[in-house]
Amino acid sequence: MRNVIAITQRELNAYFRSPIAYVMIGFFLILFGYFYSVPLYFFVQQSAQMGQNPGPMNMNQQLIGPTLMNTTVIMLFFFPLVTMRTYSEEKRSGTIELLLTSPIRDVEIILGKFIGALLLYIAMLALTLIHIGILFYFSDPEWKPIVTAYLGLILMAGCFLALGMFISSLTKNQIVAAMATFAVFLMLWVISWISSFTGPTTQAVLQYLSLTEHFDDFAKGIIDTKHVIYYLSFMALGLFLTAKSVDSERWRG
Amino acid sequence: MIEVQHLSKKYGPFTAVDDVSFRAESGEILGFLGPNGAGKTTTMRIITGYMPATQGKATVAGFDVFDQPLEAKRRTGYLPETPPLYPDMTVKEYLRFVAKIKGVRAKLDDRVNAVMKKTWVADVANRHCGRLSKGYKQRVGLAQALIHEPEVLVLDEPTAGLDPKQIIETRQLIRELAGSHTIVLSTHILPEVSQTCQKVVIINKGKIVATDTPDALTQRFHGTVMMFVQVDGPADDVLRTLHSIPGVVRASVKETRGNVTNFDIDTQPDVDLRREVAAAVVRGGWGLLELRPVRMSLEDIFLSLTTTETETEDLEAEKVVADA
Repeated sequence: MRNVIAITQRELNAYFRSPIAYVMIGFFLILFGYFYSVPLYFFVQQSAQMGQNPGPMNMNQQLIGPTLMNTTVIMLFFFPLVTMRTYSEEKRSGTIELLLTSPIRDVEIILGKFIGALLLYIAMLALTLIHIGILFYFSDPEWKPIVTAYLGLILMAGCFLALGMFISSLTKNQIVAAMATFAVFLMLWVISWISSFTGPTTQAVLQYLSLTEHFDDFAKGIIDTKHVIYYLSFMALGLFLTAKSVDSERWRG
Repeated sequence: MIEVQHLSKKYGPFTAVDDVSFRAESGEILGFLGPNGAGKTTTMRIITGYMPATQGKATVAGFDVFDQPLEAKRRTGYLPETPPLYPDMTVKEYLRFVAKIKGVRAKLDDRVNAVMKKTWVADVANRHCGRLSKGYKQRVGLAQALIHEPEVLVLDEPTAGLDPKQIIETRQLIRELAGSHTIVLSTHILPEVSQTCQKVVIINKGKIVATDTPDALTQRFHGTVMMFVQVDGPADDVLRTLHSIPGVVRASVKETRGNVTNFDIDTQPDVDLRREVAAAVVRGGWGLLELRPVRMSLEDIFLSLTTTETETEDLEAEKVVADA
């Protein structure tokens, strides 16, 4: 465990000592600000109309849920850039020799790197609580669905990061790692598109595979173990494949 | 103690290391010598547990590197060919990090400070590793290998990229460390071996071609005695005369400059032909400018072991350049 913490610290050090973390958080906040403002204006406009013609309005379902849902798109573009360096950079600079000849297990290295990347994302998300806080100041949305939505975001991020790390472990070249990761992410994003043209069984499989489909319930405030298990097993698979890839790299030399 | 038994490593059809065995006792410095691409780095990577061997066995301080990797790694310090530094960390942070993953628990800061002092990097403690000069990087790499006080040190070309003063200091440091550590160091600089090592393993194309002490190696290859003669006279005639001296195995022209020609003469062992050669030259009426026996240096042994006849000349040229 101490080793995991040491690796995590080192990863955070790499993010926060270089411009990576600041550039990423900065642009994330700009994008999030936009993703947040647009539905907010829309929501405000709608509620003004409702004043004359009352109907059901729900801030959680109509504003916060969609905003956080849209936020997942940012992951798609940002995460390949976070994960591309996890292994590729170590391989290129030779520091992988230090890690692999130290008395620590591969699993500890992988977990350390994974937690480091996840903490970077959590730091990004934490700043969006300001936006949510503003809503609480002027209104009184339900807090529980917000918590589940954030939980969903973190779980989904874990999946992307685990997968991205696996791809990074396959190559020395960071650009190749980023491109391949982006392509795979995008594929998983849109894999359910073709489900409407396929038979019911295939449809169910494709929808199950899609990372985003599983997020919907979290945004609605539902914690369904089905989705939690999906995300956790996806993460475990990604980390397992990374471990196998690092190990096989050893044998191949 | 390091023990390597019948170690082989294959990359697909290519054999990088072929049935290598050697042993370094506690407190000993073993020099691993060979041209580039001979399999030195691969062997060291296997000993340090970076990669498994295809065949054979390596033991570090009594622990098999494959079966008990954590125990073996805990007792091994490794300086790879390129020092494994993180450019965004300061030297101190970096060493603290390495100490943590190497399992140093108690008095971490004291340990870091002691190692920085030992490897003369204390003055750059707060500089970023990426901004260091090659010499400092190399020494931080050495510091990193020493941080957990390992029993065994594996150093891949520890003096590469250092300036002459640093090279001398580093060799001095390595010799000092030898008492308490077992050291394997690789190099292609020959004087380094004769100056620092108690045992030499010469490796070429993945195979061990010789294992001995530097002195014994020099002794062993003293089978034929070599002589160097510089004569002022017609090269062909002199050569013919030299060949005619009984006891001369081989005589060859090394270099001609105007009238003056340098010859190498191989003679049978245990005969001193200096008088005969001198007499023959004088009898011919030529000028004898220089005559001396040549001790086969480690360098010559190395070349004779690792090169075939046709390559020798190219390598000689390279050697001259390297020496300059």
